[in-house]
Amino acid sequence: MGRIVGIDLGTTNSLIAYIDPQTKKPVCITGPYGSTLCPSVVSLDPDGNIVVGEPARRRLLTQAERTIYSVKRLMGRGVKDIQDELKLFPFRLDPSPSNVIRVRLGDKVFTPPEISAFILRELKNWAEAHFGETVDRAVITVPAYFNDAQRQASKDAGKIAGLDVLRLVNEPTAAALAYGLHEKQRGKVAVYDLGGGTFDISVLKLISTEDGDIYQVLATNGDTHLGGDDIDNLLQAFVHERILQEDEIDFSPHGEIAQELRKTLIALKHQLSEKESATLRFPLPNGKIFTQEFTRGSVDALIRPVVDRTMGPVKLALADATLKPEEIDEVVLVGGTTRTPLVRMTVQDFFRRAPHTELNPDEVVALGAAVQANILDRGVSNMLLLDVTPLSLGIETYGGAVAKIIPRNSTIPASAQELYTTGVDHQTGIDIHVLQGERELAKDCRSLARFTLKTPPAPAGLPRIEVKFLIDANGILQVGAKDVRTGEQHSVEVQPSYGISEREIERMLEDSINFAEQDFAERQAIEARTEAESILTATSKALGQEQAAALSGEERAKIDLAVVGLTEAIAGSDYKLMRRKIDELNQATQHLAEVMMNSAVNTVLQGKRLEDF
Amino acid sequence: MSFSATQPPDYFSVFGLPRKLRLEMPLLEQKFLQLSWKLHPDNFVNASESERELSLKRSSELNDAYRVLRDPVGRVEYLLEIEGERREGEKKQQAPPELLEEVFELNESLDELREAKSSGGDFRELKNKLQSAEKNFQEKLDELDTQLQAVARQWDAALDANGTSDARKALMVRMNELLNRRSYLRNLVANVAKEWTEA
Repeated sequence: MGRIVGIDLGTTNSLIAYIDPQTKKPVCITGPYGSTLCPSVVSLDPDGNIVVGEPARRRLLTQAERTIYSVKRLMGRGVKDIQDELKLFPFRLDPSPSNVIRVRLGDKVFTPPEISAFILRELKNWAEAHFGETVDRAVITVPAYFNDAQRQASKDAGKIAGLDVLRLVNEPTAAALAYGLHEKQRGKVAVYDLGGGTFDISVLKLISTEDGDIYQVLATNGDTHLGGDDIDNLLQAFVHERILQEDEIDFSPHGEIAQELRKTLIALKHQLSEKESATLRFPLPNGKIFTQEFTRGSVDALIRPVVDRTMGPVKLALADATLKPEEIDEVVLVGGTTRTPLVRMTVQDFFRRAPHTELNPDEVVALGAAVQANILDRGVSNMLLLDVTPLSLGIETYGGAVAKIIPRNSTIPASAQELYTTGVDHQTGIDIHVLQGERELAKDCRSLARFTLKTPPAPAGLPRIEVKFLIDANGILQVGAKDVRTGEQHSVEVQPSYGISEREIERMLEDSINFAEQDFAERQAIEARTEAESILTATSKALGQEQAAALSGEERAKIDLAVVGLTEAIAGSDYKLMRRKIDELNQATQHLAEVMMNSAVNTVLQGKRLEDF
Repeated sequence: MSFSATQPPDYFSVFGLPRKLRLEMPLLEQKFLQLSWKLHPDNFVNASESERELSLKRSSELNDAYRVLRDPVGRVEYLLEIEGERREGEKKQQAPPELLEEVFELNESLDELREAKSSGGDFRELKNKLQSAEKNFQEKLDELDTQLQAVARQWDAALDANGTSDARKALMVRMNELLNRRSYLRNLVANVAKEWTEA
């Protein structure tokens, strides 16, 4: 058996972590670009190779047509569900006869689980390069408020990536595990998790018993379409509107300029988390530079609606846990968006308590996933996680109403039995419609599955079929049925409403292996070479301009040497050497970059490298 | 998924408890946590498939049992169900006789409120009326709960004293009646609250 890991499959970034055997502490693995964060971006290059992470993110600016980000928003959803999403995100969907989403990248189409699987496979590669061993099992985290279909899609992604998914763990619960291990906390803990695309609030009770520590989730709530992306959308729409008014330039919200603007605005948002004001300078296609001063206050006013939307679920979760805000002992902040000062202030004001932020909010979920992976790997442990199902499970009854059979916030695994009989003589089947949600009518809840129970030919009311609905420890529904009179088991084929079948998953697994055939070193070499080429081009372009005259002879010689070194390195196949030479050239051209920058107006670009021009 | 043909244990016996209605919550919680350590699927990830299935079945039964028994009213309902004495009955939609007048009045006020809402009329006065009616019915609900508690105590005493099955049956019929009345009142209060938030 290979290694086991914990993976945070995020909307914006994904991470992979494991337990260090020496320190017994969870650690995130650093990828080939020097960061533990793998941008959740996938691109298909014109040669048909899949590119994932940092290099794919760069392609958003040059090959938007072949690149996708925030695919998590599409997981477990149908074409009809995401029409609103399409207005805000550059998803290019292929027309599909069914409700199953198919995303187009260049000349190929993929389902959201397949795209997520590319990200998982990339992380798996990071870990395998790190361990020098295969990785075949994983705990993957999902938003606590993910429904059955979204969970199933996440699990499918794991399978397609060649991973045995031992458990799906809710993100806030994973964060609580990481914090518990870190601080030995006790009492009632609220975990506020605002990520790139999803929001969760979970209320837990941490209990010490003779056998060990129990993390019992009391209640959870959230919104699977609320996050930093929404803040970015607001900022982008605001600035786009201003540009339209002042300069009468209207660019497509999905094009490369829009991506460039989005990137600049995200950098501005990050700056405003550190200081009180920042200036946006954005070069427009007409040669002008759009300039606007932002204060933290003005941005706060703009984004407050998004932050306020998180408080509804917070209140509902507390009500379900029958707790008042002052009864919460500790508050933990998770997710990159909680770095926003307005978010911190809002949470702090509500609970009247300074939240914990000791652990890196980007890494904490992956660290917790690694803790849970370790627990499962050892079989028996001194830590136990008792999680809940976020949404009520129901079945459709007469007149389109829903009968709730497993209430939300039930500890999982949880089950319910229902007895069915026939209404007319010799009826051959009974139709059952399973739903998830809190609303009273079936049409307002999420349809999970429809299936037909086969009944033996008999007078009406005579057959008695007991159906058992079971939500497993992953929060995924299983259905079983038996004939009460004969005790005979019925097999129930549950066709998920928008899911993909087992057979399709197997085909996707094969396809994804074909895509992944290029070995790790080879892929690294290709990526380094691409990067090197763009740096070399930028360097020669910069050297040809008049500002280059400001360089000393020694500086010029250093650059020339580094150019030769890098050019030679990329002719070979050693990706580590290429990386080293890239760094050398970046260092040698630092002064040149500064000179270029000073002549340009753009002070926002401080700390940038030559190739960013 | 499959499950065995044998009937699952009743929720009381999951915890090794007699079918008594007054439970000590800290004790129930302690037993729940102890059993969770033993049964949770996390402990069986590397076990055989049949062991894994058994763990899933047992731990879901444990969680179902804890969910139901923790709730004092749900517990009574469940007891009557396994004793075969739960009758929701055709009287479900009917108001208890002693409340007929008050329910009639409430429904009238609700109708007026709906009318005022659709015609955009003033319903501040109605609101006050409904508010006091809601309070009144909420008090009656609390009273019912107290009565239910009292019968529950008698049930436990009858079990302790090894009371006759007739005596026990009489208590269950009484509890069933109280439950039906309770669900009627709860619907009523919930309806008022709903009209409320919409107004």
